[in-house]
Amino acid sequence: MAATGDDVPIIQAENLTSNVRSILYSRTFLSITGGVVAGIWGFTGLTGFIFYFLIMMVASLGLLAKSKFSVHSYFDSWSRILVEGVFGGLMSFVLFWTFAYDIVHIF
Amino acid sequence: MAAATATATAAEEEARLLRLEEQAEHGGGGAWEYLSLARRLRARRPAPVLRLGLALLNDASARSRLAAEQWTLYEQVAVAAMDCQRLDVAKDCIGVLSKQFPGSVRVARLEALLFEAKGDWADAERAYALILETNPFDQIVHKRKIAIAKAQGDMSLAVDYLNKYLELFMADHDAWRELAEIYVSLQMYKQAAFCYEELILAQPTIPLYHLAYAEVLYTLGGLENLQTAKKYYASTIQLTGGKNTRALFGVCLCSSAISQLTKGRNKEEDSSELQSLAAEALLKAYKQHASSKEALVAGMLKNMKLS
Amino acid sequence: MAEELVLDTAIRDWVLIPLSVVMVLIGVLRYFVSKLMRSPPSASPSPDPKAVKEGQLVIRARNLRTSSQFIPAKAFKARKLYYTDGERGLLHVPKEDAQKAQAAMFSDPNMAMDMMKKNLSMIVPQTLTFAWVNFFFSGFVAAKIPFPLTQRFRGMLQNGIDLSTVDVSYVSSRSWYFLNLFGLRGLFSLILGEENATDDATKMMQMGGGMGFNPAMSLGAEKDSLDIIQHDWALPKMEHHAEEVLRKLLKK
Repeated sequence: MAATGDDVPIIQAENLTSNVRSILYSRTFLSITGGVVAGIWGFTGLTGFIFYFLIMMVASLGLLAKSKFSVHSYFDSWSRILVEGVFGGLMSFVLFWTFAYDIVHIF
Repeated sequence: MAAATATATAAEEEARLLRLEEQAEHGGGGAWEYLSLARRLRARRPAPVLRLGLALLNDASARSRLAAEQWTLYEQVAVAAMDCQRLDVAKDCIGVLSKQFPGSVRVARLEALLFEAKGDWADAERAYALILETNPFDQIVHKRKIAIAKAQGDMSLAVDYLNKYLELFMADHDAWRELAEIYVSLQMYKQAAFCYEELILAQPTIPLYHLAYAEVLYTLGGLENLQTAKKYYASTIQLTGGKNTRALFGVCLCSSAISQLTKGRNKEEDSSELQSLAAEALLKAYKQHASSKEALVAGMLKNMKLS
Repeated sequence: MAEELVLDTAIRDWVLIPLSVVMVLIGVLRYFVSKLMRSPPSASPSPDPKAVKEGQLVIRARNLRTSSQFIPAKAFKARKLYYTDGERGLLHVPKEDAQKAQAAMFSDPNMAMDMMKKNLSMIVPQTLTFAWVNFFFSGFVAAKIPFPLTQRFRGMLQNGIDLSTVDVSYVSSRSWYFLNLFGLRGLFSLILGEENATDDATKMMQMGGGMGFNPAMSLGAEKDSLDIIQHDWALPKMEHHAEEVLRKLLKK
């Protein structure tokens, strides 16, 4: 994928965006499925948010393993793998959490 | 992760193209698929394209199945035919197209291209000038005019046209590359260096530009240029992972030229290990791939006092 | 506090689920409609020569700005001068020209039409669904979010019902619509592909600020950012990296 040096930014912009896009994709997918799961299991309050951040941490670990623990050969900084898409996914998570929770537990 | 696999790399596409070509050539079908892919990749494989495309066009039922797509096929086959000097085929194809699309710029371009293929430079130029009158920003036509000048061997005219073209489309790096190569062929190295700088700016990760820039600087000579050239050979080594033999040789040559110029006065250059590492890497590469010439290289490096 | 507010299952079947499904369908529909409207890209057959040139110039200047560390200092200085030197620099835009460009943009009906089309594909379905939700489902408590919130969120979540005694975590139907509007963006990016994902947010931003592409403005901006960058040649650093690369290669 991206060919990079260490501190000189030699990064193929296309490859980087493609990598970031795949991160966003997996994060969004995880936040939606995570939301549905949290709703069905009936998490309420803080538990749900802890669940979400747990999922995101697992996702970060998974991405780290996928990039063979050499973040800099795929991304320009650590924050990409750790936070990219986490807060964007939160909204989707809340929506699907609420949706599933309401359908299963409220009505 | 799915998205990463969806955008197949250029190399994979290339391999797919060759596989499809193999399959279609042996009557395994997939000819249209192959032609579409070749068009999308802009691969220049005129002989198979001409053979397969012509077979499709001559088959009336296959052609009608393509519906509106058949006109693109006509265009593709016409260009391939000109590449193969089958001017009769090209003429037929263009004739069909001009009947279908009278007054189309795209067809006019093909007609001009046919003049070019025949070698009627004056006619071709007149045809292109006519197209440019109506839409003066036709990049393809501008490039064809440059190509005509080059084909006639009139390099200074080609340089003129290229400069005019680049004044308008100054972000077109292919044109910069063409200009750089022409300048090198004309031994105008300073101008070529400028073009390569421009190319490095546009695509800093392509090692070939670093290498070409270093070579131009080395050819220019002078201490400062040599030092810069060595640095660009070094960056080529970094970008290629040390696999580019030319860059390794370049580093060796540069450092020996520098030490000749400075007569060992320059402390800074001596502290760098790069040249001895490059020499070692060269020897190793020759040992692996061409062991018969290893002694030759070792001798040459010894002459340069590098090993 | 009405802790045990019982919601009728009919609300689920006739409000919550239909509303969400309709939102998804409209999102998909809008994607295809906007794709259809966008399809003829060559709106103006003969581009303005000046605009073409300026667009290319901006790209080239941007290349210089982003990869300046890859060329020697001398080459960089020469180029910087070439672009930004007072009145002779390529990026210099005469004052009256800038104003003219601004005026031309506002008076160009083609461009306005284009933008209208773009915005129409966004605004029309949104207002329509909002009106639909308002008309049929106003005043419902449609859902309950599974986490507690403070009173401040009442206005956001119970838009359309004026009851101060209901627990804040109950969501009115109109607010459920808004939740869907923002939360479904992720889903769209999954099912429709990436380019749709950021559409709404960026479009909304564009509506307020920059009206399309303004070459005079971007030339000026590019000049300013070129003026302030420091040239830091990366090649000496790359030389060290090259040494490391070779060392690694030799060890193998």
